[in-house]
Amino acid sequence: MSTVLTPPESAATPPAGPPSGRWHRRVAWHLRHNPKRELWLAWWTLVVFYNLFFPMFFVVAQVQPPPQPSWDLATQVHWFHERHLGIPIGFGIIFAIAGMTAVNNALIAYSMRRMSTSRAFGYAYLLIYSLSAIPGLLLLCIALIVGTLRPERDPKVIGWLYDFAFLSFDGTMGVFLIGSLIWMVAILIDKNRVFPKWFGYLNLCNALTEVVVAPCWIFQRGVLAWNGQIAWWLDMVVFGVYQVTFVVMLFQMIRREDFGTGPLPDLPRKNT
Amino acid sequence: MADPPGLQVENGAEDSRVPRKALRRSEGELILLWTLPATAIVWVSAFFLFPGFMPPMSPTMSADQVAAFYRDPAHLPQIRYSMIVFNWFGASLIPILTLIVMQIRRMAHRTPIFSYAMLGCVAGAPTLFLVANVCWLLAAFRPERSPELTQLLNDFAWITFTILVPFLIGQSVILALAIYFDDQPRPIFNRWVAHFNLLVAASLVPAAFVGISLSGPLAWDGVLSFWLKNVAIGVWVVVMGVVLGQAVYRERAEIQRRGEELDSA
Repeated sequence: MSTVLTPPESAATPPAGPPSGRWHRRVAWHLRHNPKRELWLAWWTLVVFYNLFFPMFFVVAQVQPPPQPSWDLATQVHWFHERHLGIPIGFGIIFAIAGMTAVNNALIAYSMRRMSTSRAFGYAYLLIYSLSAIPGLLLLCIALIVGTLRPERDPKVIGWLYDFAFLSFDGTMGVFLIGSLIWMVAILIDKNRVFPKWFGYLNLCNALTEVVVAPCWIFQRGVLAWNGQIAWWLDMVVFGVYQVTFVVMLFQMIRREDFGTGPLPDLPRKNT
Repeated sequence: MADPPGLQVENGAEDSRVPRKALRRSEGELILLWTLPATAIVWVSAFFLFPGFMPPMSPTMSADQVAAFYRDPAHLPQIRYSMIVFNWFGASLIPILTLIVMQIRRMAHRTPIFSYAMLGCVAGAPTLFLVANVCWLLAAFRPERSPELTQLLNDFAWITFTILVPFLIGQSVILALAIYFDDQPRPIFNRWVAHFNLLVAASLVPAAFVGISLSGPLAWDGVLSFWLKNVAIGVWVVVMGVVLGQAVYRERAEIQRRGEELDSA
């Protein structure tokens, strides 16, 4: 890539420091001159995406925490009716911004490219997480939007959409399972010290949540159902910890990045 | 990732092999590029063949009206044949998008983030389109099915078809940012291509809100969700086809010129 064109020394030394003064001038300077601007842009995209993603699901659409799988059809229809505006507006914003996930995945793939491991890891992660957006996010949003579209629809049909949506959300497991394991293996065998090894094991924890969620396909009530203490609450806590951690890990990686090919230096050379 | 040909020349270690190696890398790209006009013709033909597009079916149709649409003996073959054609060629934009990835890799960036992100987007919209396509074909497979179920399949098809914008928006914005960050005397794409892609991305955003209403501009047959979105996609295909073609031909000319320079040296 173009790394070849620009020696690493000049990469770490921008032409002049950022101007002091108003924030938008500083941002404009970084967008023009910061040698790590591509990485920082991707990182900020990640932060902005998740700061919109969770409020949309929990506050605007109010589809999380999930409703009970054991409700009767009348209650399910009522649940859709209460969200007849929240779901299409909240998910409209999700659909408008979901392309940002490609940038998030690209940044994580880049972290593996920076490692001493084969580039196959980064590519595999990128492809598997790109694929995951369809069954794990977009398709279930479509099912819920179709569910709110016609309140007068046959309750049995609405009940089918209800199951489809929540099982597709909780029950899409393999893509996240294999994706997390790919990142984990890459981190554990990496010799460039891109991430601490304990973060590799945290990936294993995230992968295991996809194992314990499998019974949601079988049980309609109890701790293993799609809204249960294990299948939903425990998994959400692990995912939350994992998510905050990897945002911080990627932040540290970008600060340490020297655009070389050997081990990442320990201390940041320059505050950004 | 292999380095772009220009960089291999600058690496210089194996100069004598560079031209042939570089030529081999771009071999066949013209074939991929020239599939675009064929794709465009097929898409437009299938678009006009499907009786539900001109004009777009109204979301306010009752279940019985929707069932009657699929049961109409004149409609049935048109629905099936147009959707079979769409199923064949729905994914045929992927090679073109991959050519754009190749051009992004030639840009003066420090990391492959943009080409990775673009690669992550390319299959998104075709996959969702195929979900819609399967729902339309399913509705037409047994038109005698209960009208409630036919209407469900029709709703699912239309909502999915309209709302497939996330990765189209994503790839336009990513391409625009990649162009803005392409700091070199002769950038791969002109700045206006970046502005144009942002404009297209903005035109696709309203379609994401198709679920809000069954009538008006945001409904799936509305001015914003149907006309603006589909016209924007059509214009994007034409404009990007032209500028991508220019970039691909320019790259080939450069490879040839470098090869001749090295031969004469």
